[in-house]
Amino acid sequence: MSRSPLHEIHGELGARFVDFGGWEMPVQYRSVLEEHRGVRNGVGWFDVSHLGRFLWEGATARDSLRSLLSNDIDSIEPGRTQYTLLLNEGGGIEDDLLVWWWGDDRFWVLPNASTHQMVLDRFRAMAPDTTSVDLRPQTVMLAVQGPEAPSLLEELLGVSPRRFRTYETSFAGAPVWLAGTGYTGERGGEVVTDPATGGQLVAALIESGALPCGLGARDTLRLEAGLLLAGQDFDDRTNPLEAGLDFAIGWEHDFVGKKALESVRSVGVTRRLTAFSLSGRTIPRHGHRLRANGSEGEVTSGNFSPMLEHGIGLGYLKPPSEADPEVEIRGVWESAKRVELPFYQR
Amino acid sequence: MNVPEHLRYTKEHEWVDLVRENTIRVGITDYAQDALGDVVFVQAPKLDQALDTHALLAEVESTKSVAEVYAPVAGKVVAVNERLATQPELLNQDPYGDGWFCELEIDDENLISNLLDAAAYRQLTE
Repeated sequence: MSRSPLHEIHGELGARFVDFGGWEMPVQYRSVLEEHRGVRNGVGWFDVSHLGRFLWEGATARDSLRSLLSNDIDSIEPGRTQYTLLLNEGGGIEDDLLVWWWGDDRFWVLPNASTHQMVLDRFRAMAPDTTSVDLRPQTVMLAVQGPEAPSLLEELLGVSPRRFRTYETSFAGAPVWLAGTGYTGERGGEVVTDPATGGQLVAALIESGALPCGLGARDTLRLEAGLLLAGQDFDDRTNPLEAGLDFAIGWEHDFVGKKALESVRSVGVTRRLTAFSLSGRTIPRHGHRLRANGSEGEVTSGNFSPMLEHGIGLGYLKPPSEADPEVEIRGVWESAKRVELPFYQR
Repeated sequence: MNVPEHLRYTKEHEWVDLVRENTIRVGITDYAQDALGDVVFVQAPKLDQALDTHALLAEVESTKSVAEVYAPVAGKVVAVNERLATQPELLNQDPYGDGWFCELEIDDENLISNLLDAAAYRQLTE
């Protein structure tokens, strides 16, 4: 089991830990609800050092990204980030990832924690001439999120990150890289630096009143914001059209899995991710049965929405169906209401 | 963890307080609320419901998971903590006080002497 270089700091802050993708990371400090609301109403910070990240650089870097990933890197420019997918030949989603584009031939690729090595191996195999450096062993990564995050980042790092932009800056004399990204639906950024500087930055964040937040709040925040969790809301047998990730496909370029996706697009999907909410405080959970109009599926993600104060969930159902679904919670079919994502928006 | 001396306990982390003759008040322990995390919903028992020993008494949903609470002793539900419907967080804030679940009228109050005392329960959670 891997640990963040900041593990001891979390312990001192009273964190409880959970195994996530082979990493022992903080799941909560004092309270998931408190941390969730802290991020929605102010600013919180998360240690996300478990997330994958590697440098991808060289003359062949850009072309290899274009042919490996579903979104078209040519539709953005240096200084930007892009959400994209790694598909298999059948069009199934192997991983969702972010690309941070620093300069002409210099990129960072950020897969999920548990898929980091698989993605890195795949990239290296498919483009052996491109330089790759695994950044995870030598850096920490922090997410600073919430309406007050941009001003706090400006105060500490001299940069108020704009959405999907990348910045190179410094803290206490050491280089810091950040982007206006996150997994909460709030403004803010994700910051990468060396472990010692990361520790100092955490001290400064705490000093400024930013709330330490764990993976528990990260999960309720991302679900409220309608952001999917790889391996849970989709896997390598789910295609992006089913998962509602059409926006991450650049149809104008060739990429792994495109042929399969084109045939799905012409025939139509047989199931589609459906978002629903419950009126009471009964909570849908991963694995609960879901049905609507004779179509049956399972809840992929479900929890209590701290902001809406009712249960919310995601699951796959057969289209087209405008019918409100029902979810089976401990033997009782509860009526749910079909809703559009995100569940919650400021 | 707080384990009040005057209460009785079950291995399932419930506490029992003899509040009147043949009437017990039931809740979950400090240890249980701490393990569950933030409680967001309590499916409380119904008034006048008759419960066997270990019958399902309540369901507690937290941001982490769901837990079932069982009747520590057979009895009839004679009071329910209505505040939990709108303030489930009372379970976290005051598990032995305002966070109680319900009161059961039981056949014989001597039955609770079969439950764990504070020392035995403390040992269980260490």
